[in-house]
Amino acid sequence: MKLKIRFIDCNCSFGVPGIPFFRIAKNAAELVEELDFCGIDKCLVHHASMRFDSPIIGNNRVIEEIKEYRSRLLPTWAILPSQTGEQPEAKIFIKKMIKNDIKILWSFPNEHRYNLDENTFGDLLQLLTKRHIPLFVKDNLLSIGKLLASFPKLIVIAVNQGPHNVDRYLFPLIEKYPNLYIETSSYIGADAIENFCAKYGPNKLLFGTGFPNNCSGGSILQLIQANISHSYKEAIAHGNIERLLKEVKL
Amino acid sequence: MKNISPITKEYLENGYSKTCPIIDMHTHFGPFYRHHMPAANINKMIEILKKCGVKRIVSVPHQSFSDAVYGNSIMQEVIDSYPEYFLGYWCINPNYQDIIKRDLSNFDKFRGFVGFKFIPDYHTYPLTGLKYKPVLEFANEHKLLILVHTWGGSSFNSPQMVLEIAKEYPDVRFIMGHSGYGDWELSVSIARDLPNVYLELTAVYVAHDFSMLPGGSGTPVQLLSCLSVNGIIEYMVGIASSKKIVFGTDLPWYSPHFAAGAILFARIGDEQKHDILHRNAEELLENFLKEDK
Repeated sequence: MKLKIRFIDCNCSFGVPGIPFFRIAKNAAELVEELDFCGIDKCLVHHASMRFDSPIIGNNRVIEEIKEYRSRLLPTWAILPSQTGEQPEAKIFIKKMIKNDIKILWSFPNEHRYNLDENTFGDLLQLLTKRHIPLFVKDNLLSIGKLLASFPKLIVIAVNQGPHNVDRYLFPLIEKYPNLYIETSSYIGADAIENFCAKYGPNKLLFGTGFPNNCSGGSILQLIQANISHSYKEAIAHGNIERLLKEVKL
Repeated sequence: MKNISPITKEYLENGYSKTCPIIDMHTHFGPFYRHHMPAANINKMIEILKKCGVKRIVSVPHQSFSDAVYGNSIMQEVIDSYPEYFLGYWCINPNYQDIIKRDLSNFDKFRGFVGFKFIPDYHTYPLTGLKYKPVLEFANEHKLLILVHTWGGSSFNSPQMVLEIAKEYPDVRFIMGHSGYGDWELSVSIARDLPNVYLELTAVYVAHDFSMLPGGSGTPVQLLSCLSVNGIIEYMVGIASSKKIVFGTDLPWYSPHFAAGAILFARIGDEQKHDILHRNAEELLENFLKEDK
């Protein structure tokens, strides 16, 4: 069966995490099998070790382990502060991104125990802003609001926002910061997508499943059956992230 | 797409299935102080039920969480106004014993209530405490359902507490709201071992990371096992069987299509999907759905 919409999953990973799990994709081949089962065309992928081991390890592993699947899996990297010497200073880090064709970065401030702020990442965040490189941030909207107050033009994708409704935090930020986006894997309230689109249109929402932390099918059926126009669904499912990727200036 | 389930195909194409409807055993309605819920009003909810092919929901208004007298009266009004969609749980706040005594003596006068709803985490009173005892005895005598909010690691409504009371009250059919989220192994084994305990899926199909909620959650504890849930439905079916699992969404908290999608894309057979989406609920609600037949 061919789905009516082409999906690019902006939030999925493979690899073996330390936390308890039921069914994961242990390697890239298993992730591709999951994409095929669900009818997802491509994904922006991170390696579990980027989050649960260390970006030092995971950023290399993701490149190595998806080599056979580059047409379906687009690699991403995670950031760490350069002050500790764990990651190079901003300019060198960007050069490494160019060399490996990395257009998307992730930040896990809670898991990796750092402040995602000007003091810690000032140089890098300025370069990301200048080069239109999207930063996927797994943190709550209080922290993201503070980040955007310092870097109002930074392209920030707030991931895993939910599953409880966060609109009271979210909508004021959406109205103030033009480059704030929401990845949808946890934005699962009844009528949440419809309500968001009615107020702000579809261009700030990016489709994600959160696989393997979430069940992929939920996000798929929610968007396919959302009470919004087909063109809105296309924008959320793939158009918005394709536009962001095109605008990256590596 | 390699998911070849005919039911899944129906939901993807139409948004509902004629042969596999949904009965939602865990819903609410009305505004809630902690969150904005765009689908909280009755008309919007009914619109969503129609679109998703949900033929009946069992509900508790949010207003019952604080003022059960007010909330239960609203529930009665809604059941009377929309009996084709709504059944209800009578919400019990154990902190008000005089009200409980009065309500139990009048319970035969209430219309469309399938049993009781306990939310111990919200009322900060343990499920095994003495204040719930009169309700449990009444439900046992009348063979009623009790939907209990459960969460792994909670001091008020852990799966272990469900195990204790379910053994003591074998004629109550206990629905473990959220399936004891996070304490999966114990919850699923309880549903497997005790004929009167069912797993309920609200929120189970999505990871819960409370650090993402600036104001925290109504549930106080988060186990690491809350961070990855893909495959949980297959695990439950494998251990407890599909006969012990019922569908729920907390509507208007969560999208019925999101919840259904998690089940429709789980690696289980269509017969098992029928069990979870409607058949088990039809058995549990048999006396209340007679008119539908």
